[in-house]
Amino acid sequence: MVKNVLAKKKYECATFACALSAPMATLLRERAITLRLAEEFPGYDDKTLTALKEAWKWSFGVQLAAQINKTLDSGAVSPLLVTLNYDYADDMQELEILKQVSPQLFEERSKQKRRFVTEFTRRSVEQALATASLAALQAAGGGLPTASVRALCVGMVCAHAPMYLAGRYIKLSRNLPQSPWILDKKRVLPSSVQEIIYKPLADFYNMDEEEADRRLKLIAAGREDVDVRCLGEGRPFAVEITDPTRQLTADELAKACQLISESKEVIVKQIVPITREDLVQLKKGEETKSKTYEALCIKLSHSQFDDVSPDSPVKVTPEDIARINSFRNTPQNSQNSLNNKSNDHNDSNGDTSDEENNANTLDANGDSLNASPDSKTTKTDIQNTSEENQMAKNSSDAKDIDATPEKNYVQVAEAMDTSLNSEKCDNLSDVKIVIEQKTPIRVLHRRPLLTRTRQILELEAEAVPEHAQLFRLRARTSAGTYVKEWAHGELRRSRPALRDVLRARVDLLALDVSAVHLAWPPPPPPPV
Amino acid sequence: MEYNILDSIDLNDPAIYKSFTDRYFSKRYILNVNGIENNDIMLMFHSNRITLLCLAPSHFFFKKKDKYTLNFNIGKIDRLSNKVKGKGKKGGQALFPDSVICKVEWSDGSSFGIPCGMRGTLVEINENLIKNPELLQEMPDSDGFIAIMLSSIAITDATKNKLLTHEDYMKVVNV
Repeated sequence: MVKNVLAKKKYECATFACALSAPMATLLRERAITLRLAEEFPGYDDKTLTALKEAWKWSFGVQLAAQINKTLDSGAVSPLLVTLNYDYADDMQELEILKQVSPQLFEERSKQKRRFVTEFTRRSVEQALATASLAALQAAGGGLPTASVRALCVGMVCAHAPMYLAGRYIKLSRNLPQSPWILDKKRVLPSSVQEIIYKPLADFYNMDEEEADRRLKLIAAGREDVDVRCLGEGRPFAVEITDPTRQLTADELAKACQLISESKEVIVKQIVPITREDLVQLKKGEETKSKTYEALCIKLSHSQFDDVSPDSPVKVTPEDIARINSFRNTPQNSQNSLNNKSNDHNDSNGDTSDEENNANTLDANGDSLNASPDSKTTKTDIQNTSEENQMAKNSSDAKDIDATPEKNYVQVAEAMDTSLNSEKCDNLSDVKIVIEQKTPIRVLHRRPLLTRTRQILELEAEAVPEHAQLFRLRARTSAGTYVKEWAHGELRRSRPALRDVLRARVDLLALDVSAVHLAWPPPPPPPV
Repeated sequence: MEYNILDSIDLNDPAIYKSFTDRYFSKRYILNVNGIENNDIMLMFHSNRITLLCLAPSHFFFKKKDKYTLNFNIGKIDRLSNKVKGKGKKGGQALFPDSVICKVEWSDGSSFGIPCGMRGTLVEINENLIKNPELLQEMPDSDGFIAIMLSSIAITDATKNKLLTHEDYMKVVNV
């Protein structure tokens, strides 16, 4: 029988391990014999007894090996496991005596005959036997009569340990989900990154679509929205193949990459085999590594610093760009603060960057080191807006990150300390902006309502020459940052947002993931 | 530059310039709630059964220019003490169409309550209204939203289907 099944599946693996799923009565018999021996021969160490399964393995397994042409090995070494299931007609009958030996263990299940198909489970039998004494067993009738029927092999299962493949995918489409998007049993979008990657692999393994969906699993380091592209080296991913018959060859893997890339929506340049241990790196990456994004943004209203008539068209000014590039709400590194101080005084615009620079140049006591002329200009600007008026009035409210510089410093320093300790951000030395984001409304129906602290590690803006109202943004953020929400501020549930930097309404027209900072596929182990 | 972001979208397509609220939400209106003239509220339905409560532009609140404060303490319930846990938003205050979310109190002593208009669970009060109550007047359909509510798909769909759509509302108020 084993031969037939193996012939059908055609495992390439040269070794195999075999295991036995024996009837539960064997547990009882084994224990009874052990106890008898212990009684008859005092000093008998029951640990020297070879377990039934072991004995069976080395006797039957060797014979099996010859039949199926594979080398017998232990389960720890060989990935191919052949399990034989044996049934024994009198199994339940023999176990009945345990009800007398340890009645309380089986009472519960016996009562609920409807709910539990079998009264005896392996675990409860083991429990009962652990405490049973020979006398109790014998009294209940465990005299070990000779078995009247043989145990029969009723089935076998062959399974190969899962294999893993690693790669990175580049997503060029703005209309493609990572996994199939199905609502009310209907497809919302026709394809997905997952299906495009699976297809050539499934074909090599001769799996049809349904089987591929069942036996393949896509594990990615995070996910981007349907309308977001993933560029650069691509997003790290792995594919888990359950019960694979063989390892795919390098040629086949290269061909798979080619076929995937033909879709023009997803590009994979390389797929390599990896081990289960390597997978840990992938998931760690999702939680701890930063990502770089590029966004195309639009300025929707005049900035509160724009000195133009309200009716004039909205344009992105060089000051806007400078403001974004220099914005930070964290104290600069002490090594840089000296340079920063001189830059502050050279700032001729008296724009908001001064407010943040005030924070930067606070010394250890929290006193502002800026000369007063600069701060005066800034304060006038601020007082002109009602928003700032409100904040000045409520400056005692420590919750507002945009409050007066001194409070800003303390509040943000605390936020930064806790967030850096708990987030394990991979760039501790220079976080530019610490933000607080509430769970975005678009996912709020399936995620708990929380305020998450995240970091913008790098931020750079660039004007778009052909379109005066647009600007490009490059940002590197900590893992788990909702970039879209940070850009438009999501009704102030994400702060401080890009709009707070510019003091103008902004929105995001397009978003790309430029890089996922993770070393993947993992480098091969150095040659021995 | 390969894969230039500017080339990846159609800048002439008006759809890409929709505001955040127009992109994700369908607006519906309830006029003259409880028979009070121009007690008009706007519910913004997200496709994921989250709904935002806002004042409709035609609400009588906008006619009065006096100073006002917002009071979230309604009788025995303090809306600000609302706490939700987990994905299911357990523990959120139960809401019925007449449940008052917040009271607007003018300096001359008059006041009115803002009803929530539908059955559901209170997820979040717009905390920005506490520090910046002027948002209600200045940006009632975005930053000045009042509350976030969660309901079942059944209730959300049923409510959405029986309320006034944006087109019909515009016809009514322009009369």
